[in-house]
Amino acid sequence: MTVTPFVHLAVLAGFFAATQPLRGFQQTSDWPARLARAELRGEAGAVLGELDKALAADPSNAQLLGLRARLLDSRRHPDTRASYEKYLAAPGLSEQDRSLGLRRLASLDLLDGDRAGAGKRLAALPTPVSLPAPVGASKVPTGEVIIPGPISGFSRMAALSPDMPDTEILAALARNIVTSGYQAVSGSEGLEQTEYLKLILRYVSQARELEKLAGPSQILKIEQCESPKTADVLRILGFRMRGGCGSEVVLETVNASRAFLTIDSGFPLAELEQSLRSNRPFELDFKPTRVKVLYGPEYWLSAKEKFSGELIDAFLADPALCRLYLGIVKLDPDTAEQVRAAMPVARVRAFAHVFDFFGGMLRLRDGKAVVPGGQRSAAAWSDLAGAHPDKGVEFIEKLIMKDDGWLASYFDSLSRIDGPVQAYLTEPARLKRFYAALRGRVTSPGPARPVFRSNTDLMLLTTRLRMTTSNQPHVPGGLEVWKNLFVKHPQGRYDGRLTKAAANWKEADDLLEALFGLSRKAVENEPLKIFLAVSDIDRRRAKPLTIAAVDRLARSYRALGAQYPLFSEAPSLREETIEKFVTAAEAITKNGDEVFKADNAGMMQSLVALWQVLYRQKLIPESQADATLSAIIDPFLRAKDDGPLFDAGRSGVALLLKATGTQDNANPQDRMMDLLAGSPSTEDQQSLEELRADMMRVFEAQKLVSLKLIFDLADHFESLSRGERLNAALLNRLAARVSDLNLPKATLSTQERNSFSFGYWTEKHLDAQRKLNFRAVIDKAAGNADKLKEARGMLAPLLRDTLVGLLYVHYAPPGAQILYTNPLFARSHDFIGIQGSQQTWKTTEVLGSGWPSSAGGRLVGSLATLPYALAEAEQNFLIPTREQALIWGDLVPQMLVSAKLPRWWNVTPGQIHYLALHLRLGEEFLAESTTSPGLFTQAIDVLDKTATPVRLRRIANELSTANVPAALEDVTPAEIYFLGRYASENKLSLAGGFGSSIAALAAADPERLNHQAISDAFGTPKPTLANTMHPQLLNLRTFPTLMGFSSRIMAESWESNNIFFAALADELQLRPSELNLRIPLWTQRTVEQIFATHLEDWPAVLRSMRVIADQARAEARKTNAIQQKASLE
Amino acid sequence: MTRKTKLWTLTASVAAVLALAGALAAQQPTFRVKVDMVVLSFTITDGRGRYINGLKPSDFRILEDGIPQKLTTFSEGSRPPLRVLDNGATEPIAAGAGDPERGGISTDALVGTNVFVLFDTSNYMYRGFVYASDAIADFIRGLDRADSVAVYTFSRNLSRAAPLSRERNDVLQGLRKAVAGDEAALYNGLLLALRDAAKVPGRKVIIVFSNGPDSASMVAPDDVRAVAEDEGIPIYVISTSDVNRDPISTGVFRRLAGRTGGKSFFAKTWQKQVEAFESIREDLGNSYTVTYYPQPNPNEGFRKISVELINDPGKKMRVSARPGYRPRVGS
Repeated sequence: MTVTPFVHLAVLAGFFAATQPLRGFQQTSDWPARLARAELRGEAGAVLGELDKALAADPSNAQLLGLRARLLDSRRHPDTRASYEKYLAAPGLSEQDRSLGLRRLASLDLLDGDRAGAGKRLAALPTPVSLPAPVGASKVPTGEVIIPGPISGFSRMAALSPDMPDTEILAALARNIVTSGYQAVSGSEGLEQTEYLKLILRYVSQARELEKLAGPSQILKIEQCESPKTADVLRILGFRMRGGCGSEVVLETVNASRAFLTIDSGFPLAELEQSLRSNRPFELDFKPTRVKVLYGPEYWLSAKEKFSGELIDAFLADPALCRLYLGIVKLDPDTAEQVRAAMPVARVRAFAHVFDFFGGMLRLRDGKAVVPGGQRSAAAWSDLAGAHPDKGVEFIEKLIMKDDGWLASYFDSLSRIDGPVQAYLTEPARLKRFYAALRGRVTSPGPARPVFRSNTDLMLLTTRLRMTTSNQPHVPGGLEVWKNLFVKHPQGRYDGRLTKAAANWKEADDLLEALFGLSRKAVENEPLKIFLAVSDIDRRRAKPLTIAAVDRLARSYRALGAQYPLFSEAPSLREETIEKFVTAAEAITKNGDEVFKADNAGMMQSLVALWQVLYRQKLIPESQADATLSAIIDPFLRAKDDGPLFDAGRSGVALLLKATGTQDNANPQDRMMDLLAGSPSTEDQQSLEELRADMMRVFEAQKLVSLKLIFDLADHFESLSRGERLNAALLNRLAARVSDLNLPKATLSTQERNSFSFGYWTEKHLDAQRKLNFRAVIDKAAGNADKLKEARGMLAPLLRDTLVGLLYVHYAPPGAQILYTNPLFARSHDFIGIQGSQQTWKTTEVLGSGWPSSAGGRLVGSLATLPYALAEAEQNFLIPTREQALIWGDLVPQMLVSAKLPRWWNVTPGQIHYLALHLRLGEEFLAESTTSPGLFTQAIDVLDKTATPVRLRRIANELSTANVPAALEDVTPAEIYFLGRYASENKLSLAGGFGSSIAALAAADPERLNHQAISDAFGTPKPTLANTMHPQLLNLRTFPTLMGFSSRIMAESWESNNIFFAALADELQLRPSELNLRIPLWTQRTVEQIFATHLEDWPAVLRSMRVIADQARAEARKTNAIQQKASLE
Repeated sequence: MTRKTKLWTLTASVAAVLALAGALAAQQPTFRVKVDMVVLSFTITDGRGRYINGLKPSDFRILEDGIPQKLTTFSEGSRPPLRVLDNGATEPIAAGAGDPERGGISTDALVGTNVFVLFDTSNYMYRGFVYASDAIADFIRGLDRADSVAVYTFSRNLSRAAPLSRERNDVLQGLRKAVAGDEAALYNGLLLALRDAAKVPGRKVIIVFSNGPDSASMVAPDDVRAVAEDEGIPIYVISTSDVNRDPISTGVFRRLAGRTGGKSFFAKTWQKQVEAFESIREDLGNSYTVTYYPQPNPNEGFRKISVELINDPGKKMRVSARPGYRPRVGS
């Protein structure tokens, strides 16, 4: 065997070697290097085949066996364990290699939940290692609450996920009762039960009746149809028999409210009916459900006076008790226990709402409170709260009670961050100063009073504040810009006191103080939004924006702020181009002709958005990006009527095509579709074709006119003006296309037409197209060259629709239906909005669902957040595969956008393997931490940056009892990636060898195999959180639901889907380009599979993803089997 | 490289079409008109509204935009389809001729009707939920044994409560475990049910049980109706007089049903829908179903279908069928 010379061979040779490499890999064989090269090309499968051939000739070759095991291990192959076993059985294996193999096998056992297997392996090590005891001594007392009947019925009625562990059921129920169980009564301060709660109460009562009927056996049993018990059961269920016993018996409703509960709770009514028909016994296990309750029922019941019922009844009857339970279970268990011991339950109950929203980050260690800023800030916290953190529970009590929750929310926000920002903000003097600003003079209402946390701005400010390299806050444009903004804001003062103070600002902290002060206001906090938006534009720029540019952007924010993510996404844009965009947009806004304004805005926005897509996909080179965008915008500064507007649109298309290296004679329509589909030069033409075909179907369904036809017609007008002959066929083609626009409205009645309360200008836009008659225009022109040339302006609305439609096509979410059904959907994009709303440059919104719109929904506003709005409009067409799915809303559109906006044409096989190795390494890190205190501490420290204390404690408990699968249930794929990253960067000594494999790969392709590149490739867009569509991984704590955003920011902080699916693709040996089809598909299936209990139930997303991954594995196995069978045949 | 700029499919509702569309999409020619099988169901009644049974293919002509069509298969009621020969005579379709394993359609699949029940479980149906559930159960029990039934429910989303099956107990189990509540997206649900039905070979109908108001759909009734027309799927709507409180819904229901070859019924209560069920069952049992491959037709827009009876000189017979369809964009 000869060693092939290769530039990275020396490094790659260690590719599959562990920290203590397996013996002889480098010296005697070129296999590792071959394999490494293959991994970079995505051809590891071929090497596996060669390995198998080599092993057939030399079956006990330890090196080959070890290599094979590692290869399978890195791909999570089902034969991994068997391969390691063979390797360990190979003759001549050194003790060191054998130990590594045993450790790796033990980790695999632990990851699979096989404690016994792992224990045996670890005991066989030269220095035997013991696993920790399987069950840790829990210090937390628990009891049981009894829920009548089977949990399935109760869960359905209470909208609880059936996948939920019984330890979490009561907390989930408490949350649902707090959020959905009660509603305000008009004209009264009291609350009344909602229908949701009334049904639960009725169900509990019905279940108790059935339980009583079931008797001591707790089995609901009907021996035969004519049993006396039949009538009793049916009476409770609200049904009766129609017809006598026998094959004709039918159950029908006799008591509607009881029957409703029977069906809605999923009672097996059809089975009962069938038993009665066939006169067979009917049996149903009707044992009550015992659910874990923290501290036992007595503690919670002690919070209520004069209550003699069951805890479940107390819960259902008292939202304050539910809030109390929620507040306590969110605390880290040790902390909760100390709070319980030190604070009377009535006192805790009085501040349960604050505990619920802001208690999650509280933590006591050794009797002392852990505070943001640590020891340095302890005295400041003491001053703020009125008790020193060293006093433990007393500090917590004071903190929670202070200022109706404002101090607790401040503490919570600062606890969620780390690094230089936290260090800066918790400097004692600053800590107190900023809190004073936040607190203001009047503290009521507190941020925990509303249904959602109302400290959104505070959390955004602390999370997104950017620090300079000298650890000072980055103030875009310098302080003067912000002083001016506060003092001379063109649209009115933000705050009289701040306006006065701003004149004397001298340092960044003065501005920050003002921003903290505004953060607590319930009104729109525009200065903070401007500050964050402009900070995010600066974030990736080589040179920050100048004073003038920041000033311009700040003053135009109210009108154009929704467009700023464009500037954040393209850091190489020159300020002149940004200025030009703003000027053009303002000029368009000033135009009083609404129809023309809509066409003008639509044309410019669509061209800019197409530029954004092509820039994002790296199809426009960085060197040409700015010049192209600048040239696209230029004509819009001058376009005053349809002719020049058409020319602006056409020249914009030409510029885009030129910048992407398109040949002059290319068909513009075909080329644009190719570009939007992805990389025209990809080797994976099959995936590209599939994506392009999907896009073509949407384009056709939208009845859009192709760019080619529009431009041909424009050219034809030009040639007619030169006296050439009329091309009737060309006109007919356009006429045929446009004639389709009439159809969908044909059967609407006048009443329905009158019900169009919005979309006046859109209707005018559509009507104008319906009336288009180029033949008449040509005839009327009677050969007048100028008039014929002007006729091209009539094509402007068509061109606008096609360009807008191309974006709809590009962003079409998986499972879309509107795009295939409503042929006017893209054409109906309303750039004007409801009269007086000035939505031309605002975010894209969905409008008009349900009656009385009758013409279907449409999108309104600019194209700035088109991907999200499209996903929002289409999300309800996804078909849940479970009984119900309660996590729709803001989470699903963001998941769909994250699956559809990024494209993976430029991702290399090496990158998905590099990512997958990080996940493998992260898992191994957790598995090995069960037997290594050092690793355990490091793993917990890494997770401490993203997990809440209560979750961290759960993970720690699970790891300390070697229950790795349970620990993994609590760790997100994004966190596992970051664990892997930590293990790799710190060269942790782990047996799997993934760390050195990662290092070797990174050395082989340093440009693509680094964290930044992985973040760009597998991150998610975060338009709300980070003011950009640029995909990225931020490694933040998952946000809670927040006032004004519901779960949207939470969804943006959830970064796990693409990471998880990319690693799955590596496991299934898919080409990276296939991710362009698979990730949208897998995401759609994930959404359809979710059964969440509440808006923050991200573990439900995780469970769903795992189910989909298993399905994908099963499908892959089936396909492989078919292919193998076919090849044998 | 030449590029496909259009991919028209000349409608129909046959699953085999889907595979063909995928194959064609991968090719590169310019302008292609793809011709698919059309399934057309219709009933014929006399002047008194009585069904006319026992007709043969030679007793009527099918025309599309006035162009006579050559029938491929013919069936009456729930009987198995017959192959129509060139001379208008019929013969049984040989067993295995449509082997699904080889991409064909099982002849068994063409027997009976595929009935998709779409049950409104939104908040609007709160009070009538259990009675409607009883009524649907009765309706399902009364269907011909040859018919297959699926139960879908909808509120904000669609739920496939019971997939298409001839096993009535399975279907009833799905029906009786429907979850109630949430907003109503009737037309979204109807569209999704149509999409599913379109994938099933043979004759199919959708029967909507709803009291009307729609609070969440993103698609318009007329767009959904167009899909039903194109797929040749009649929509029957069963509602109660509660719907009269919403005249727009009533109007839309009538139009939706009428234009697709179905019917709408508004009884006083859910319990009083017996007549509606009987009427639908009669329609299903007395209808004729033919299939054909459309003759060349340059019309890419709406194609008008007409059924002409050969021996009806006085034009006394009434034919109920969908008015036509539009060639649909790719599958």
